[in-house]
Amino acid sequence: MMLRLLLSMTLMLGAPLMAGAAEYGESPTLKDLVAAGKLPPVAERLPENPYVVQMDDGREPGKYGGDLNILMGRAKDVRQMVVYGYARLVKYDRNFEIVPDILEAVEIEEGRIFTMRLRKGHRWSDGAPFTTEDFRYWWENVANDENLSPAGPPVDLRVNGQLPRVEIIDETTIRYSWAAPNPRFLPALAGASPLYIYRPAHYLKPFHAAHGDEAALNAAAQAQNQRNWASLHNKMDNLYKNDNIDLPSLQPWVNTTAAPSERFIFQRNPYFHRVDPLGQQLPYIDSVIMQVANSKIIPAKTGTGESDLQARYLRFDNYTFLRENQDRSGYKTLLWRIGKGSHMTLYPNLNAVDAEWHKLFRDVRVRRALSLAIDRSEINQVIYFGLALESQNTVLPQSPLFKPEYQTAWATFDLKQANALLDEVGLAKRNNAGLRLLPDGRPMELIVETAGESTEQTDVLALVRDSWKKIGIALHSKPSQREVVRNRIYAGETLMSIWEGLENGLPGPESLPDELAPTNQDQYQWPKWGQYRQTSGKSGEPVDMDKPKELKALLDDWYAAGDRKAKEAVWHKMLAIWADQVFTIGIVSGVMQPVVIDAKLRNVPEEGVYTWDPGAHFGVYEPDAFWFDR
Amino acid sequence: MLRYTVHRLIVMVPTLLAISVMVFVIIQLPPGDYFTTYVDELKSQGENVSADRIEFLKQQYGFDRPPVEQYFVWVFGMLQGDFGYSFEHSLPVADIIGDRILLTFIVSFSTIVFTWVVSFIIGTYSAVYQYSLGDYALSFLGFVGLATPNFLLALVLLWLANVYFGTSIGGLMDPDYLDQPWSWGKMLSVLEHLWIPVVVIGTSGTAGMIRRLRANLLDELHKQYVVTARAKGLHPFKILVKYPLRMALNPFIADIGNLLPQVISGAAIVSVVLSLPTTGPMLLRALQSQDMYLAGSFLMVLALLTVFGTLLSDIALAILDPRIRLGGGAEK
Amino acid sequence: MTGRTDIPHYVNPAPFDPHSVTAITPEQERYYTASQWQLMWWRFKRHRLAVVSGAFLLAMYFSILISEFIAPYDLHHRNTQMLFAPPQAIHLFHDGDFVGPFVYGYKKSLDMVKMRWTYEEDRTKVQSLRFFCIGDYPGAAYEFWGLIEGSFHFACPADGGSFHMMGTDRLGRDMFSRIVYGARISLTVGLIGITLSFVLGLAIGGAAGYYGGITDTIVQRIIEIIRSFPELPLWMALSAALPVNWSPILVYLGITFILALLDWPGLARAVRSKLLALREEDFCTAAQLMGARPKRIIYRHLLPSFMSHLIASATLSIPSMILAETALSFLGLGLRPPITSWGVLLNEAQNINVVAIYPWLMLPVVPVILVVLAFQFLGDGLRDAADPYK
Repeated sequence: MMLRLLLSMTLMLGAPLMAGAAEYGESPTLKDLVAAGKLPPVAERLPENPYVVQMDDGREPGKYGGDLNILMGRAKDVRQMVVYGYARLVKYDRNFEIVPDILEAVEIEEGRIFTMRLRKGHRWSDGAPFTTEDFRYWWENVANDENLSPAGPPVDLRVNGQLPRVEIIDETTIRYSWAAPNPRFLPALAGASPLYIYRPAHYLKPFHAAHGDEAALNAAAQAQNQRNWASLHNKMDNLYKNDNIDLPSLQPWVNTTAAPSERFIFQRNPYFHRVDPLGQQLPYIDSVIMQVANSKIIPAKTGTGESDLQARYLRFDNYTFLRENQDRSGYKTLLWRIGKGSHMTLYPNLNAVDAEWHKLFRDVRVRRALSLAIDRSEINQVIYFGLALESQNTVLPQSPLFKPEYQTAWATFDLKQANALLDEVGLAKRNNAGLRLLPDGRPMELIVETAGESTEQTDVLALVRDSWKKIGIALHSKPSQREVVRNRIYAGETLMSIWEGLENGLPGPESLPDELAPTNQDQYQWPKWGQYRQTSGKSGEPVDMDKPKELKALLDDWYAAGDRKAKEAVWHKMLAIWADQVFTIGIVSGVMQPVVIDAKLRNVPEEGVYTWDPGAHFGVYEPDAFWFDR
Repeated sequence: MLRYTVHRLIVMVPTLLAISVMVFVIIQLPPGDYFTTYVDELKSQGENVSADRIEFLKQQYGFDRPPVEQYFVWVFGMLQGDFGYSFEHSLPVADIIGDRILLTFIVSFSTIVFTWVVSFIIGTYSAVYQYSLGDYALSFLGFVGLATPNFLLALVLLWLANVYFGTSIGGLMDPDYLDQPWSWGKMLSVLEHLWIPVVVIGTSGTAGMIRRLRANLLDELHKQYVVTARAKGLHPFKILVKYPLRMALNPFIADIGNLLPQVISGAAIVSVVLSLPTTGPMLLRALQSQDMYLAGSFLMVLALLTVFGTLLSDIALAILDPRIRLGGGAEK
Repeated sequence: MTGRTDIPHYVNPAPFDPHSVTAITPEQERYYTASQWQLMWWRFKRHRLAVVSGAFLLAMYFSILISEFIAPYDLHHRNTQMLFAPPQAIHLFHDGDFVGPFVYGYKKSLDMVKMRWTYEEDRTKVQSLRFFCIGDYPGAAYEFWGLIEGSFHFACPADGGSFHMMGTDRLGRDMFSRIVYGARISLTVGLIGITLSFVLGLAIGGAAGYYGGITDTIVQRIIEIIRSFPELPLWMALSAALPVNWSPILVYLGITFILALLDWPGLARAVRSKLLALREEDFCTAAQLMGARPKRIIYRHLLPSFMSHLIASATLSIPSMILAETALSFLGLGLRPPITSWGVLLNEAQNINVVAIYPWLMLPVVPVILVVLAFQFLGDGLRDAADPYK
C-alpha cells in the first residue's frame, strides 16, 4: 500500500526533470573523456529515468570536483564505501522510510508478491547494461547452484521455509512471489550490508562452470590459490566486500586499488544512476581516498585534519580533543545521535545456571529494583556531559513508535522503592557488611562480565556499583574477551553482562520487531530461548515464562498482520511489555557521536542520526550529494 | 672449526622443527580459531553470518581437517616455499609480507645503527671516566630510554612532532607520498617520520649495549698490558683504541644474531602505536585474529633468522676468541 | 768507593727493625682480614649512584606496607565534582605571609561548547594541609591491608577542601593515591617473577654447566628455542590461555608466572657459562679428588663464587618484568581495571586526549622510570662490586 503511494510519488517527482530531460550535466573530467571518445555522452550513460535527489531539506545543488579523504582502521574497510555509497535496489530515506533507488518502482500485492521494475538504460560501471539477466544469473547460477551455495538461497528469501517463485517478465521487470507475506524482503534489500539478489552476469559468466569448461576453470582457480572454480567464483563475486577491482559496480565510487595497500582510491562511477535537481549527474566529488591506519590513532589523525569525513573510530570522549583542534586543522565537528535503542544496557541472564539467581532474575520485582537503583543522572553528567538521554532500553524519541512512558518506566532513581521491592521479594536479611543475603546464605554479589574493550563500560559499572551498594548488592565487574563472554552467556554461566541495547532504535510500524522477542542466541538476556527458535528446537530451551511467551505470540501476530495499523498496534503492545517487565536494564541512550567534516564540505546535515541499520551510517544522507565549496 | 659448523647446522634442523611445533601450538592455543573471530566481528557490526556459510568457508580453507594434518600441510608447504594463505587479507602470505619488507628493513637498520653509535659513545666514555659526573649523567641518559614505556613515549613524541614540526601523525611518510615513486621529497618525508620510532626503539636497546661495552672495556683497561703501555708513555687515546677497544667490541659483533629479531619484534608495539606499515602490526593483528598461516609463517621466518643469527655470532665469536672451550664433563 | 761527596746523603741512625718490612697499617689490616661480603660492600659504596638507588628502592618497597597511610584518598573514591582536575600545587606563601603547606581551591566551570571542565585556581580559598591526621572527609576511610579499619593519614586536605597533588582522572579519582596503591602490584610483580626465574635458571643452568655433554646440549637447545621466539606471540598465547574465571589475584600470579617462564633462559645462560669456566679451577678439582659429590661441589664451592654475579643479573631482570607488565596491559592481556597497577594506569593514559589535553594522567610514568632506573643502577653497582678479588 505504502509503496504504491511511493511509486506514484517517484513518478511525480521525476516529472519536473522530464520537462528539461535532454540537458544533463556531468563532471568536467568526464566531459574530457567524452570529448576524447572514451565515454559515451552523459545522456546515454544515465538511465532514461534517473533517480533525482530531492534537495528540499536545506541542501543545495553543488559543484563538481575534489577528493574526499577518509580514514579507516583496516584494509577490509573498503566495504565501507559500499555502505557510504548506499546504492541499493530500495533504500531508506531521511525519514527512514523505504523508497526505490536503483529500482524505478516496486509494486507489492498482499505483502507477498513483489514486482520490481528496473530503470531502462541503467548500466554497470563498465558500461554493460544492467538488466534482469543479472537477477536471473544470480537466482539460477549462484543462489541455487549447489557448488556455490550449498545451503541454498539466503534465509531472508524464505517464508515458512518456502522459496519464492521468480518470474522474469521482460528486460526490466521481475517478480518474486511467496505464498505468505515476506516483510523481511525489502528491509534486507535496503540494509547497510544488504541482501544482493543480482550479480554482474556479463563479468561472472566466464568464471562459472555452467558457462565454460569446468576443467580449464579449475586449473585457472588453482593457479590463483583457490581449491576449485567455485571458490574462485565466490571470491570474485562479492559486491559487498568490494575487494575485486574488476568487478563492475553500481555504487557512486568504484574501487581502483588492489590489496595489499595502505591507500585505496575510489573513482567516480560514470554510469551512476542518480542526478541532482538540476540534472547534474552525481556524485559531485571526483574520488574518495581511503587511508588505512591503526584505529587507535585515527582520532589523533582526524584532529590534524587528515580526514574530510569521519565518524567511524571516533568516540564521544574524543570530542574535546577534536573541538580544540578544529580551527587549526580546518574542519568542523558535528554531533549526531547514535541510533541504538540504548548505548549502555545491562542484561540479566534469565537462563543463568546458578539456581538462586535464576529464580531471582525471573522475578520482575528484582529487575525493577536493580533498574531503580541506578543513578542515571549521575552517569549522564559524569561521562556524557549531560547530553545523553536517561532512558530504558527502548526506541528513541525520533521513532514514530515512541511514547514517553517507555523511556521512563522504572528508570527513575528511587532507592527507597528499590529497597522496598527487594525486601518484598524476601531478601531482607543482610550480613555485617550491609550486603543482602541470598536465600541460601550467600551474599548478593553480582558479577557483571564485559568484553573489556572500552573504558566507558568499566566507568559506567564503577558508578553503578556505588549506587547498588546502597541497596545491598555488590557489583563486581569482570573484563574478559568478547568471544569468551559470549560463549559463557550462551551457556548460562554469566549472571549479567553489559552491552549496547536495541540495534534499531528508530523503528517504524513496518520494521521487524524481531529484537523484542526471543528469536536469537545473541539476545543476552535470554540466549537459550533465542537459540531454541534459531535452531528450530534443536538446541537451547523452550520459553517457559509467561511474558516472553506473549512476546513470541505477538511477533507471530505482527508477521501475520495485514496492514500498517495492525502492525503498529502489535509494536506498541510489545514495547509496553518491555517497558513494564524490564527484561533488560537500559541506562543511557542517544549518546552523541562526533562527526568530523572538512570545513568546506556541504550538504552534510548538522544534526543527524548515526545508525548502521537502517541508516548505513552516512548512507541515508546521500554522500554522493556532498560537495566541496572551493 | 669446520666440524663445529657442520655440527651446529645439523643441530639446527631439530631446533627449527621444535620451533615450528611450538609456533603451531601457540597460535592454536587461545580458544577458537580464525573463523570464530571472523564471525564475532561480523556480529559486532550487526552483519549476519549463517552457520552454513561458516562451515562452507572452513571446508574451503581446510579447517575441517584435524590439527595434526593441518600442521603437516603447513610445514610441507613452507618447505616448498609456499607460505600459505592469509584469511584476513585474502592473499598469499608472501604478498603481504613482501609488501612491508622494505620499510621494515629501513626502520630496523636505522635503529640498529642508532643504537650502536649511541651506546658506543656512552659506553666508552663511561668506562674511561668511571664514577665521574659525566659517567653518571651519560649513563642516566642511556638508561632512561630503557626505563620509559615505549608505547607512551611514542605517542607523546608523535603528538609533539605534530604540534611543533607539523609532521603528520603516524605512518612512515606523508599520506600523499604513499603510492608515489621514490623522490627527494618522499625521502625527506620518511626521514621526518623515521626519527620517532628509531629514537624510541633505539633507546631501549642502548642500555644493554652500554653496560656490556663498559664492563668489557673496564676489564681490558685493568689488564697488565695497558698498564705497561701507559708506563711506557703511549698517548692515552692510542692506549684506548689500539687494543682494549678492539677486544671490547667482540660482544658487539657477536650479538648481531640476537639483535635483528629483537628489533623486528620489539618494534611491534611501537609500530602499532605509530601505525607504521611494517611487519610488526601485521604480526600482532594476525596473532589476535588467529590468522594461522600469516602468523605462523612469519614467526617461522623470524625464528629462522634468530637461529641462523645465533649460529653466525657463535661462529664469529669462536673465530675471534679461541679461548672458548667446548664439550667435555666435569669429572676427571 | 770513590765518588762525589757533595751529594746529600741521608743515613737513618735508628736501629733496624726486621719486622718493619712485613708490618702493615691498620687500614691495610682491615682490608686483608675483611670477609668477602664486606669487601663487596665497600666496593659497592664507591658507586654512589647505586647506593642512592638502593636507598630509594628500599623506601619504595617500604611504602608498599603503608600505602593506606601515605595516600590521602581511598583507591576507589571518586569525586564527581572534580573530573579531570589539574594538579594542585603545594604553596608555602600566601600573599607574602608564610602560612605553611596549603593548596588553593578550584573554581570550576563547564564549557559546553568544547565539552570540557575548566578549573581556575581560586586565590581566595586557602586550604591548609593537615599532617598526621585522622581523616574525616569522604574517601579517607580505609581498611589497612583489607583487615583493620582506620583513617589515619600522613597528609589530609583541609576541612571541606581537596588535595589532588597529581590531579584527578575522568571519574574524579585522585591520581596520587592511585599511583601509591598501584605500587603494590607493580613492585611485587617483579619480585615474585624474579624468584621463580631465579630458581629455574639456577637449577637448569647449573645442571647444564656442571654436567656438560648431553645435558648441556639439550639445555642449550631449549634455551635457544625459547630465545628465538619473539616475546610478543608467546605473551599473547600464554595470557590468552589463562582461564577467564580466575580472580584478579590469580590472574596476577599467572602473569608473573608467564613472565618468569620467559625470563629464566637469560639467567640459566649466565649460570652455565660461569660454571663452565669455574669447574676448570683448581679448587673444584681438589674437591672432586677429595671425593665430594657434585651437589656439594656446586652448592658449597662453586655457587658462592658467582652468587654475586647472579644477584646482579637478577636485579637487572626485575625492571624488564615491570616494563613487561606495562606492555602486557597495553596489549590488553595483563591486569585490567578494576585492579590498579602502574601498567593499568598507563594504559588508561594511552590516548590522544590525555597527551594533548590532560597530560597529568601520564604521571604514573615517573615512578616507573625512577624505579627501573634505580634497579639498573643498583644492578650495575652490585655487578661492579661482585668480584672484589679482581
